[in-house]
Amino acid sequence: MKHSETVFLVDDEPALLKALGRLLKAEGFAVQAFDSAMKFLSAPHNDGAGCVLLDQSMPTMSGMELQQRLLEEDSALAVVFITGNGDIPMSVRAIKAGAVDFLTKPVKDNELLAVIRTALEKSRIMLSARAEITEWKRRHAELSAREKEVLLYVVKGLPNKNIATTLGVVEQTIKVHRGRVMSKMGVDSLAQLVLVAERLQLK
Amino acid sequence: MTAAASLTLAGVHGFAWLRKRRQMASLMFCIMAVATAAMAGCELWTMQQTDMEAYAQALQWYNLMRWIVTLALVGFIHFYLGSGRPWLEWTVCGLRTLSLLVNFVFSPMVYYTSIEELVRIRFLGTEVTIVEGIPSPLSIIGQLSLLVLAAYLVDATWRSAQRGDRPGAIRVGLSAVFFVLALSIQMMFALWGFIDMPIVASLFFAGILVVMGIELSEDMLRSAKLAEDLKIRERELLGERKLTDAIFESAPGMLYLQSAEGSMVRWNSQHERVTGYSNTETSQMRAEDFCVEAEKEILKEARTIALAQGGHDVEFDLARRDGRTSRHFFRMVPVEVAGEPHLVGIGIDVSSQRELAAETERQRERMAQIARVASVSELSSSLAHEINQPLAIILSNAQAAQRLMAHENPDLNELREILEDIVSADIRAADVIKRLRSILRQGKPALETVSPHALFDQALSMVQPELKSASVQVSRRHSKKLPLIQADRIPIEQVLLNLIKNACEAMEQNGSREKTLSLTCVNEGAWLRFSVRDNGHGMGEDGDKIFEAFHTTKPKGLGLGLTICQTIIRAHGGNLWSEKNKSHGATFHFQLPIVPENL
Repeated sequence: MKHSETVFLVDDEPALLKALGRLLKAEGFAVQAFDSAMKFLSAPHNDGAGCVLLDQSMPTMSGMELQQRLLEEDSALAVVFITGNGDIPMSVRAIKAGAVDFLTKPVKDNELLAVIRTALEKSRIMLSARAEITEWKRRHAELSAREKEVLLYVVKGLPNKNIATTLGVVEQTIKVHRGRVMSKMGVDSLAQLVLVAERLQLK
Repeated sequence: MTAAASLTLAGVHGFAWLRKRRQMASLMFCIMAVATAAMAGCELWTMQQTDMEAYAQALQWYNLMRWIVTLALVGFIHFYLGSGRPWLEWTVCGLRTLSLLVNFVFSPMVYYTSIEELVRIRFLGTEVTIVEGIPSPLSIIGQLSLLVLAAYLVDATWRSAQRGDRPGAIRVGLSAVFFVLALSIQMMFALWGFIDMPIVASLFFAGILVVMGIELSEDMLRSAKLAEDLKIRERELLGERKLTDAIFESAPGMLYLQSAEGSMVRWNSQHERVTGYSNTETSQMRAEDFCVEAEKEILKEARTIALAQGGHDVEFDLARRDGRTSRHFFRMVPVEVAGEPHLVGIGIDVSSQRELAAETERQRERMAQIARVASVSELSSSLAHEINQPLAIILSNAQAAQRLMAHENPDLNELREILEDIVSADIRAADVIKRLRSILRQGKPALETVSPHALFDQALSMVQPELKSASVQVSRRHSKKLPLIQADRIPIEQVLLNLIKNACEAMEQNGSREKTLSLTCVNEGAWLRFSVRDNGHGMGEDGDKIFEAFHTTKPKGLGLGLTICQTIIRAHGGNLWSEKNKSHGATFHFQLPIVPENL
């Protein structure tokens, strides 16, 4: 079984990096190991889907700090924590910040592999969602100013007649604009248009 | 008039002599004054005589008085000035005595060979009798005695002045010389008939008496003043002595005065109390006798330095009479007493300070050891990490190997490396355990006598802020009379502290139920039972597992706290156990044996 995604290992314990690497490689994962958060950050890591298996307690930069940096980078990498001494408040904070799981050392292979797979799946979804949004942003950018205006009113649920009154034009004009917005954005229904506007956070 | 004045003076100085028998000058003065008064009487008597026989008789008495006056004058000068030549004194007395004898032997009298007639003349407004006759060659003896007396007086005065005596004494001598010379001249003139006047020697002697009287009075006043001054000075000295005595006694340690060679001169009662030697013994001892053998030289050297450099400090073991020693600090300062160099100093017992310092050091060491144990709970997370890390390496490696083995052609080199890594991770885990055990290792408890109350007090004081912030109500109930126990105080306090902390944690989720911590100490005869009771969530089903090492219900706990407590209590020969409360929470008890003599 081959995977296209990379599993990044970040742990200050070289022996554990090696052991985890062996296990994941034996399962056919592409593995890159780093013994510090800084080394990981300075290496290319945002090319595609993937996940980071992070040790929480590391000198200089902790796992939690690294997770924060990845969020700032808007990375599509899914984060899994693995720690020798985690407590409940710490794991809650990690999950709230988007971590897939918070594993405790020693971790059994099946458990680890299952979490890695979930993480990679999440990364893939994130990546494709990001691709969709990029596409919608591109399409939205191609709308004329008037069309963007009409789009906002439409997703707010205003009938064409009211939009026409507000903008001081006849209802027929609004209908034309509306049809063009639907085709330019590539959506078939009002519901779809509302969803896209929501994702693009249009207001 | 002369007689009255003389008698008055005689009375005063006779009284002075009676008061102070040793003042012979006063006695002499007294005699001379009385005799001068008598002489004046005799003179008056002769002046009134008209009969030759009676005149001669009066003159004889008069001469007797003169003899007494002369001898008394010589005596007075002898005692008062103390500078006359004895042979002159004897010459004067001898001549005068001879004159007296001649006077009585050759009647009618010494002055004249024959009296021709008695003449009545007017003298100082009164009619008096004088003699007209041929002066006797023997009367020269009387004249000679007067001249020798004058010479004696001049000599004595001169020598007194040479010696640097006070001017008063010299005044007395000079006036005596003056009056005696004047008398001699008057006598000669009267005797040889150059002038017509009676012999009035008493007037001249009275003159001497007045001057002498004034001086003696001044002397008396002066000596009285001196005596008064002396009394004041004595009082002051007594006050000084009392003050120094008080200073000696008020010193916080031993205060002493010793000679430069080390013999003890003066010391306070503290010295006697500390050394155990009585005052009589101390007075025959030297400073080194109070010093232990090994440090005697140090003390001697310190004394030399103190004398040479104006003071020195030294510390040595004081050897008491009972053979015990105690560390003392001594300061010595040189001082001159009665012209001899001495050392005054203070000795302060510093043994308790030295012991305190040593005790503080021991306490600190033990606290450091305890701190290692106490911080186990805080270290538990990092210890857990240390143990879990090698375990994770072993597990992942082993499972990777299992998966590699499932491949068709497993890489044997890879497998060998995996096994090597497993072995080294295993050794590492064993090391962590070994290290943990060495941290927890406790020697035999160092027993001391402690009060159970103090144990509770100390443990509570360490968690007071937490108790307050968590609003935990603390109630303490103890048996009325608790014995002291033999225990290693700090570990026992740690046990109490640990139990109290556990109780507080168990009550964290109490919600509206008031958090109550009950501490009790009960005397059970052979045992003293300490109990810590809470009304928290209590123990779960695995309540009997709580004393097992590494069993924990706390997310961060290592499961060692109660195990350590158990170890400490068992090392004391006691027992630690827990029980579930009927309503809420749990109670932890431990017993410590009561040593029989403390019952």
